[in-house]
Amino acid sequence: MANLEVPRELREEAKAHDMYLHPIDKDTYELFFGPQHMATENFSIILKMDGNRVEKAIVNPGFLHRGFEKLAEQRPYFTNIALLLRICVPESDVPENIYSMAVDEIVGWEVPERAIWIRNVVLEMARLSAWMFWIMGFGNEIGLYTAGQWAAAYRERFMRLFEELTGGRVYHIYTVPGGVRRDIPGDRWLRQLRDTVEYLKGKMRDFDDILFDNYIMFERTEGVGVMDKKFALKHAVTGPNLRAVGVPYDVRKDDPYYLYPELDFEVPVLKEGDSLARVLVRRYEMEQDLYILEQLLDMGPPSGPYMVKDPKLKNLPRFKVPAGDAYAHVESTKGDFGAYVVSDGTHKPYRVHIRGPSQSHGVTVLEELLKGARLADVPVILKTLDNCPPDIDR
Amino acid sequence: MDMNEKPKVEEKVQEVPEVEAPKLPDTKEEKLVAEILKKAPYAEGSVRRERRVEFKVPADRIKEFLELASEKFEMLIQISVVDWLKEGEFELVYQLWSVSESVHAFVKTRIPRENAKMPTVMDIWPVAETYEREAHEFFGIVFEGNPRLGPFILEPREYEKHPLRKDFNMIGYVKTIYGEDFDRYDESKTNYVI
Repeated sequence: MANLEVPRELREEAKAHDMYLHPIDKDTYELFFGPQHMATENFSIILKMDGNRVEKAIVNPGFLHRGFEKLAEQRPYFTNIALLLRICVPESDVPENIYSMAVDEIVGWEVPERAIWIRNVVLEMARLSAWMFWIMGFGNEIGLYTAGQWAAAYRERFMRLFEELTGGRVYHIYTVPGGVRRDIPGDRWLRQLRDTVEYLKGKMRDFDDILFDNYIMFERTEGVGVMDKKFALKHAVTGPNLRAVGVPYDVRKDDPYYLYPELDFEVPVLKEGDSLARVLVRRYEMEQDLYILEQLLDMGPPSGPYMVKDPKLKNLPRFKVPAGDAYAHVESTKGDFGAYVVSDGTHKPYRVHIRGPSQSHGVTVLEELLKGARLADVPVILKTLDNCPPDIDR
Repeated sequence: MDMNEKPKVEEKVQEVPEVEAPKLPDTKEEKLVAEILKKAPYAEGSVRRERRVEFKVPADRIKEFLELASEKFEMLIQISVVDWLKEGEFELVYQLWSVSESVHAFVKTRIPRENAKMPTVMDIWPVAETYEREAHEFFGIVFEGNPRLGPFILEPREYEKHPLRKDFNMIGYVKTIYGEDFDRYDESKTNYVI
C-alpha cells in the first residue's frame, strides 16, 4: 500500500505559504454548500462543520424566486397555466392540474370523462418521468452514474410522447380549467405509450441490478438521515418520505381525485425512516405507477368532448370566475402538492397560493436531519428527501 | 278506542325524526365538526363538501383552537394569507389535514392590516416556522415567538417591501430596479405590463 501521508517538510512549507483552504489547526469552519453543487440544484445550505461532521445547517433558499404568486394575480385565469407550471420543473403537470382542479371546483364544472382520463394519464406519465429524473440525480450523487444515464434516456421516451401530445417537452401547458387543451393525437400515440410502459417494466429489473439492489447503494443510505413518525407528522412531511416512516398517507387513496378510486394499486409503506427506506419506497412506487398506467390504457379513453362546454368560454381573457375559494391537491413524486385559489368574481384570481412539498421537508426537516451527518452524506440526504427548491421559492 | 289510538302513535313516530334529524351528524365530516365545536363554542364550523370542512375563529383565540384541532388534524399543510384591501384585513387560512380521518380543514381568521400580529404555532407544529417566515416576508405579519423572522426568500433590499400585499406598487418597483427602458409594453406600446 502506498504511503499517502504528506511528508512533514512539505506540510510545513504549505502551512508557511498558506496553501490550505482553511487553517489546519482549527477544526470548525463554515462551508457554503450550493447553489453550484449538483445535489442542491438551486439553493444553498450554509454548513457549520466540525471536521467531517455537520454541526449546524442553515438552509438558504431564494435563488429561484420569480414572484409567480404575485404575477398570477395580474393575469387572466387561463393565462396563469403557462406561468404556474414553472413551479415544479421535473413534473410540470402537477401545478397545472392542481390549479385547474381548484378553478373547476370554484366554477362548479363537471369536467368531461375523456378530459379526466387524459389528465390522469398525463399525471402518471409525469410521475414516471419525474422518477427517471430522480434516479438520474440520486445515481449521480452516490457515484452510480450508469443508472442515471439510463434513466435520462428513458425519460426521453416520455418527453417525446409529451411532445406529440402537447407540443412541449418539459413544460406542457396542457391541462386547463375545464378540461385539456387538445385531444389525443390518435391510436398510434396510445400504442406508443403502451410500448413505453412495457419497455420500462422490463427495465426495472436492470435498475434493480445496477442501483436498487446494489451493495454500494445500501452502504451509502442505510441508517443515514433517520426520522421517526412523530417528527415527520409534526413537520408535515408528505409523499414517499412519510410512507418511509410507516404512515400510509397517499392523496390518491385518501383524498381521491380523477379515476384513482376505480384503479387498483397499493401504497408501499416501510417503517425504518432512513434514506434506504425512502429509496425503496420510491422503487416500489415506480412499479405501481407502471401498473396504474397499464390499467388506464386497458380502460381506454372514454368518448366525448375533451373540454367542458360553456358559452362563457368564448371570450377566454375575460372569462369570469364566481367568488369563492378552493383547495386542490394531488400526489406528486415529492409529496402532497396543493393549490389554494381565491376568487373575488373578476377575470383574474385574487390570490393563488401554491403549497410545494419541499416547503415542509426542504427547510426545517433538512436542517434537523443534517445535524451530525458526514459531509459525504449531505447529498444523499438531500436526494433521498427529493428536495425541489422551486417549490420553496416560487 | 282502537281507532283513536292508532293515529296518535303514527303522529309520534313522525314527530321524532323531524326534530332529531338535523342534530345527529351523519357523515364523518359532520361528526368531526360537531366534536370540535362542542369543545370550542366560540368558533363557527361548516362542512363544505366531502373531505372539506371550514372553521371561522376569532383571532384572539386562534392558538387555543389550533391546539384543540391538532388532536384530530396531525398535519399543518400550509398557512395561506389573503390580503383583503377594501376591508383592511388580512385573512389567515390555516390548512390542516387529518391523516386518520382524511379530512382537510380550512381554519380562517381575520386580523387588521395595520401592525398585524399573530401568536406563533411553532410549538404545536414545528413546520409552522417556515410558513410563518414566508407570511412575514411577503405580508409583514409579525408572528410573536418565532425566532427566525427575517429575510428568507427575498433579497435583503426587498425584505421590507412585503410584495404580496395588494397595495405594493409592482410596476413602480420594476421601473426603479430595471429602468424605464425595460421593454415591457403591450402591443399598443402605451400600457406598461408585467
